[in-house]
Amino acid sequence: MRTSDIFKFTAFKYFALLATSTLSALGFFWPFINSNDRPEIFFWLATPVAFLILMAIIGQAKFDAKSLALLAVLSAIIAALRPLGAGAAGIEPMWFLLILSSYIFGSSFGFVLGSISMMLSAFLTGGFGPWLPYQVFAAGWVGLIAGSIPQIKRFKKFEIPILMFVAVITSEVFGILMDLQFWPWALGPKTQLSYLPGEAVYENLNRFFIYHFSTSMAWNVPRAIFTAMLIAIVGPGVLQALRRSARKANFSTEIRFT
Amino acid sequence: MIKFQNVSLIYPTAERTILDNLNFEIGEGEFVLLIGETGIGKSSVLKLLNGLVPHHTGGILAGNVEVAGFSTRNVRPGELAELIGIVGQNPINGFVSDVVEDELAFSMESLNLPEEVMRKRIEEILDLLSLHSIRDRKIATLSGGEQQRVAIGAAMVLHPKILVLDEPTSALDPVAAEEVLAILQRLVHDLGITIIIAEHRLERVIGYVDTVIEIGKDGATRIGKPEEILKDSKIAPPIVKLARALKLPKIALSVRDLRKETEEIRTNGRDISFETRLTGSPLITTEKLNVKYGSKLALSPIDLKINSGEVVALMGRNGAGKSSLIKALLGIIEFEGEVNKFAKRNGYIPQDANDLLYHQNVAAECEQTDSDNNLTKGTTFALLQQLAPSISLNSHPRDLSEGQRLALVLAIVLSPNPDILILDEPTRGLDYQSKALLINQLTARAKSGSAVLIATHDVELVAELASRIIILADGELVADGPAIDVLLASPAFAPQVTKVMSPRKWLTVSDVLRANE
Repeated sequence: MRTSDIFKFTAFKYFALLATSTLSALGFFWPFINSNDRPEIFFWLATPVAFLILMAIIGQAKFDAKSLALLAVLSAIIAALRPLGAGAAGIEPMWFLLILSSYIFGSSFGFVLGSISMMLSAFLTGGFGPWLPYQVFAAGWVGLIAGSIPQIKRFKKFEIPILMFVAVITSEVFGILMDLQFWPWALGPKTQLSYLPGEAVYENLNRFFIYHFSTSMAWNVPRAIFTAMLIAIVGPGVLQALRRSARKANFSTEIRFT
Repeated sequence: MIKFQNVSLIYPTAERTILDNLNFEIGEGEFVLLIGETGIGKSSVLKLLNGLVPHHTGGILAGNVEVAGFSTRNVRPGELAELIGIVGQNPINGFVSDVVEDELAFSMESLNLPEEVMRKRIEEILDLLSLHSIRDRKIATLSGGEQQRVAIGAAMVLHPKILVLDEPTSALDPVAAEEVLAILQRLVHDLGITIIIAEHRLERVIGYVDTVIEIGKDGATRIGKPEEILKDSKIAPPIVKLARALKLPKIALSVRDLRKETEEIRTNGRDISFETRLTGSPLITTEKLNVKYGSKLALSPIDLKINSGEVVALMGRNGAGKSSLIKALLGIIEFEGEVNKFAKRNGYIPQDANDLLYHQNVAAECEQTDSDNNLTKGTTFALLQQLAPSISLNSHPRDLSEGQRLALVLAIVLSPNPDILILDEPTRGLDYQSKALLINQLTARAKSGSAVLIATHDVELVAELASRIIILADGELVADGPAIDVLLASPAFAPQVTKVMSPRKWLTVSDVLRANE
């Protein structure tokens, strides 16, 4: 017998996560669906529905006391960190902690942590709106990615550079995703960078990326640099603290009765 | 109610057995005290009771732990939650909400009890533990004793049959400790609850408990009436040590009982002279030192002189101004008046020793101290090895026991040889062994010409250690004089030996022996 392990999705839940993620991806990528049958329906339905299903799944998941306590504390800290930087110029101090905790506690925990923190911070900032399901999924995926990095003892020296690299990548991914849900509605129909309903995929991709990179200097690049810097500066200390709590929690330790 | 049968325990990461073949039985409505040296596994025994060990921590458990008919082998800790209430070592770490009433309701909300039941039970607990006057207060603003009572209340709302407390009075001042113990005794007598506590400060609790369990180093467990166990237990309060030293036929647990048996000794003993410690030049002087917080006067003007070679104890209630005085002397807070220090180095140990520790392991802390003070490498560690030989270099400072942590902090502060050493309540949670270590170190420092100023509630420590006592009350200096005079002047502040031997002027067991040679 062993003590309960850190929260992990069961195979069925992983499948459900994959399904809801695919569904919600439709909500992100609908502008590139070349159809004249009002593809924006995906924006209004796919991700919100996927979001509700996902919440039902997470709500049903069995958390043991220790994982739940960890999740509660970490998501509270992350949610409280988010409004600190006020999001100005991409200074969002929440991401580094999400990345570090997900790295230590794994991808399942990372996904739940990312999505729960995002929802919780919506309560703090009053940021409810049609964008919330998108932010929740995107933050969940950031946690999932960071949690999928294997912890290898031999490469411990490169841990911080690797995590900084992940910070840059995930910041960019999050930026692209947020721009995607925003871009078709942001510019009005008539500009050179606007979304063109029914136009070729290539044309829309082109317009999106020009839009993304021309605006990203203000948000995504600073966010990536800021998060990577935070990991470089406070990463070693925070990792030590997280590892210590993981060790003290005695996850999956042998129990034997003789 | 509780049955331990051949219980042995090993943690997966530990090399040695924590508990070895424990056997005892506790009946309903008993008030039980668990004693044993630090690190012997008292906390593990407490956690075995509700199955946290091994279900949450992992480990190899041999034998059987049976609680109210359930074996913890088969029952998860959560299922025992209604049966056993647990109050941890540091209640503030266990609180989940801000306000007293919410805290009391929390565990009932988790179990989804109907609202009417919750309301009724909260009222009942507020009355039982006399918490009604603070029901709306924020927990963070409560005193230590009140917090401890709230923690007990939060455990009691589920109507447990067993209440387990890990060091309920170690961090409290004497008055608050009495308050908590009186409540516990009432729970035992009025409700027939079984209470099990582990506690270092035997002199406080021994009068209240019915049964003592002593866990020995070799795993030998003894269970019995306090008088039987304390006759030859390794750990004993001063009053028992006195009885043993005088070779009395019976151990007495209260001052009254022991006074009856020692009448002869009191009348026959000679007066003894106390060696007056040589005190040198003043190291700290103050002139009209006072501290204000806003318009509130925390410390009225004080003229003070502390000389080299002195050990000065600073006593008084919580909030009497002890910490304000210490912080003003150190220059940490703003003050009016004058403070002159004639010392090259000051050493300071704050109330929470953790404040001095910020590295990841003991070795790094020692190295940091060496480099901060330009000491030769290894000085701090050498001192630490003297103080606590068993300490592991790789341990995280926060994982150390209270005694080990004190040894580490002492090594850090003492290694640069400070001329003035200031300590703010260093004995919270310390066992007798660690206290003896502290007394030895500080006495040696004073003999070599340093001055020591120590704020504490612990009269027994003061009796052994201090040469002079300053008592503060509401920010005013009420007494300042040689330890013996001040301790004898007020019965409430007197150590146990003095209470027994009053009106004779004997402070410690060795004084009594000296007088009756």
